[in-house]
Amino acid sequence: MTGFLDNVLGGLALGAVYALVALGFVVIFKASGVLNFAHGSLLLFGGYLIAVLHDDLGFAGALALAILTTAALAGALDRFLLQRGGQDAHAAHVQTIVTIGVDIVLFTDLARRVGGDLLSLGDPWGDSVTELGPVTVADSRLAAIVVSAVVIAAVFALFRFTSWGLSLRAAAEDLEAAALMGVRLGRVRAGAWCLAGALAALAAVFLAAFPAPGLERGTGQIALNAFPAAILGGLASPAGALAGSLIIGLTEALVVGYQSDLHVLGEGFGDVAPYAVMLLVLLVRPTGLFGAKGAARV
Amino acid sequence: MSDRLLTALTRRRAGLWLLAVLLCLPPFYLDAFWLRIGLFSMAAAIGAVGLALLTGTAGQLSLGHAFFLAVGAYGYTWLAGEPGPGLPPALAALLAVLLAGAAGGLFSPVAARVKGIYLGIATLALVFLGHHVLLTADSVTGGFNGRSVPPLTLGGFTFGADDPEPTVLGVPFGAEERLWFLGLALFAVTWFTARGLLRGRPGRALAALRDSETAAAVMGVDVARHRSAAFVVSSMYAGLAGVLLALAFRRVVPDYFSLALSVDYLAMIVIGGLGSVAGATAGAVFVTALPLLMTRYADQLPLVTAPGSTEGTVGPTEAARYLYGAAIVLVLLYAPDGLHGLARRVRDRVRRRRTRTPAPETVVPSPPQPAAAARPKEHTP
Amino acid sequence: MNDRAFAPPPVLDVRDVTVRFAGLTALDGVSFTVTPGTVHAVIGPNGAGKSTCFNVLSGLCRPDAGTVTLGDTELTRLAPHRIAALGVARTFQNIVTTHGTVADNLMLGRHALSRAGFAASALRLPRAVREQREHLDRARRIAELTGLGAHFDSPVALLSYGDRKRVELARALCLEPRVLLLDEPVAGMNAAERARTAAVVGELRAELGLSVVLVEHDMGLVMRLADDVTVLDFGRPIAHGTPDEVRQDPGVLRAYLGTDAPKEDAA
Repeated sequence: MTGFLDNVLGGLALGAVYALVALGFVVIFKASGVLNFAHGSLLLFGGYLIAVLHDDLGFAGALALAILTTAALAGALDRFLLQRGGQDAHAAHVQTIVTIGVDIVLFTDLARRVGGDLLSLGDPWGDSVTELGPVTVADSRLAAIVVSAVVIAAVFALFRFTSWGLSLRAAAEDLEAAALMGVRLGRVRAGAWCLAGALAALAAVFLAAFPAPGLERGTGQIALNAFPAAILGGLASPAGALAGSLIIGLTEALVVGYQSDLHVLGEGFGDVAPYAVMLLVLLVRPTGLFGAKGAARV
Repeated sequence: MSDRLLTALTRRRAGLWLLAVLLCLPPFYLDAFWLRIGLFSMAAAIGAVGLALLTGTAGQLSLGHAFFLAVGAYGYTWLAGEPGPGLPPALAALLAVLLAGAAGGLFSPVAARVKGIYLGIATLALVFLGHHVLLTADSVTGGFNGRSVPPLTLGGFTFGADDPEPTVLGVPFGAEERLWFLGLALFAVTWFTARGLLRGRPGRALAALRDSETAAAVMGVDVARHRSAAFVVSSMYAGLAGVLLALAFRRVVPDYFSLALSVDYLAMIVIGGLGSVAGATAGAVFVTALPLLMTRYADQLPLVTAPGSTEGTVGPTEAARYLYGAAIVLVLLYAPDGLHGLARRVRDRVRRRRTRTPAPETVVPSPPQPAAAARPKEHTP
Repeated sequence: MNDRAFAPPPVLDVRDVTVRFAGLTALDGVSFTVTPGTVHAVIGPNGAGKSTCFNVLSGLCRPDAGTVTLGDTELTRLAPHRIAALGVARTFQNIVTTHGTVADNLMLGRHALSRAGFAASALRLPRAVREQREHLDRARRIAELTGLGAHFDSPVALLSYGDRKRVELARALCLEPRVLLLDEPVAGMNAAERARTAAVVGELRAELGLSVVLVEHDMGLVMRLADDVTVLDFGRPIAHGTPDEVRQDPGVLRAYLGTDAPKEDAA
């Protein structure tokens, strides 16, 4: 029973971090119709900045600066590179592939800098743990859950109560009509990218924190597991991304936790379980759990 | 008019023959390094043509190409090898291609329903799940260390190096020399069939699907069937490329067939120009040859240091990745029709300069527009 | 290869078709019958449900109630490509051509009439090559018939707006249809282009004897070409009859013009 609770808590923490990343995918997709393949590299970029800066600025200062810089990088990426490609549905597909090119360049550079090292981000939780009744849980995991919950709530509020959120939802409803809004749409888009970049940098902290050994070049690849999370919920649905992330996080943690009982599926199935779940869901609902049913319109 | 057409056709045919003869020459003049570049390029070109059909022509984004390459490579290795049925290698190669096609067919419930970016991520799942299977199904795949690949024999002739090397025209004919000709033959088959497909009824139907599914459907195209068929055909080319790659590497390992490989193929067709056989080939040569050439000539390149130098320097493989990542971005943003379109525009310009006064009935698009800009507005959501 | 074009087309019968989108009723009990060999116009103000009606006829939209039959075949349950194979071709309100040349587009129209599959085309079997050549000849004929002969090998993207609309018409004709659905075939065209398209449609009816269902805002064109007119307003049929009858129907006048006097080219 304790083992089960351990796994559930671990899954929730993982899901919370995935949610930060998946929400980034969704925000970008809603604003621009682009799936950002460079997201993992943005995350790594944020993490790397914290690792480099925390000695001089302290953890909080480094985190703040990394969040701002990553947000600026993501926004600039959209504004000065992707937006050159235009705004319609076809352009969005092209831009999605552009992000793959961006990812290659960005990742190559970061991987070169990080090399084979394990970088510490200097987070305040270290390897301390808290006793919660029968289970022992790492403070970093509790922090992941709490911080993610607060940030995600803030993002949802942003969607609902700000004019930017309104514009974003309008853009997602009808990219073409929103394109008529001209410059403002460009700004809404870039804003969405900034937000997603900030979320990615924040997620880096928890992906590198205990029990993970630190930030490594492969940390960004973990963000790939947020793809199934975002797809599972439906790419255009923030609530879906949240649900998808929790499902994926729990699945992964439980599959890893019960590895020995699931040996039929092979060792290390936990790493790919998110994708298996996603395929099954897509078979039944081709646009995700919360996705709009695609109707043929003429 | 028809005279001119005839001359043009004859000239074209003569050009193709000349090209074929030229492509037969390298084994007699170049060393193994260059032959390997050529061989890997040909294998990549076959796979890239398959992806060009699927993603470029039919408009179905696939990041799962590495999976189908793996099915071809491992399929051949298992079918022809020990443990495995130990079939005659030529038969095994054929079956491996069909197996890859069948794998594409098995994916059709997803391929027929899931669209656009969702499909891209769904195919991503194939790569990860496939990699997992390659690692865990030891008895078939050899697990993490992979398996060695039995050489292909055809009518007593071995495309490998284990015979005493015969000499042809004074040149020792080792594995690379022989495989070169095998690769050339398979590439010729790919070129011939893919162009037949693209210019025929199926190619038009697939292109129509990409441009507008509704228009295609009301014109009588069975949408679901063609979406699935595109996957099957594309997977068969990937399978063929996988067989050739396995033969060239002589060993298959799971880590080769990773997401990065899928991305490489996507890069090939993007850099080459989506949807054309010649473009996919050019892109395949570019993406394959670039890192190998940069590694070889690292010491002669500015800004690039040989491996082993201290932190903050750029090694040849990294430099190659910078270049081709940037190439994807630049091509898509500034020349969406890729190398193929670039070549066509240069050719048009040269031709226009040569014929000072263009014939009045010739339609000269001026200024030359990139394909995406000239494309009629998409109407479906 | 186009024998069926010479047989009289079957009756197209639309019975009580109702379509709802998320609580909104786009079509409400629409019925009409297209007599073989006639031009039947469906008119109505914007948002009256004309395009939805076409989507039902071509299988893109499944009605919540009602049936559409072509001769003895019920179309309501068939996929769009099956309906196309029965000889129902359509054009779109906003141009939907595919990438490539006029020839490529017209050859797409020959899809349902040709056989060559993936294997035959890949291997360039003689029958696939021959079939392609035959269909290309026929497509060229149709291009000439619709005044696109000179542009046959030009990329569609380089054509004028009017020519591109005509490519859609020619592509639909390449299906050798028995029923042709035209969704605003002259919208956005200038006077000369309109006259030319009208002439082509008139000839088609006279020479091939096919049935035409026409959605159009250009009342002049409707009055000149149509044998029967169905008027829709907010998804409901409000009038049926010959152009003259409909023109004087008070309900129609109200729907179109408030209560004002009749006027041509209202839209």
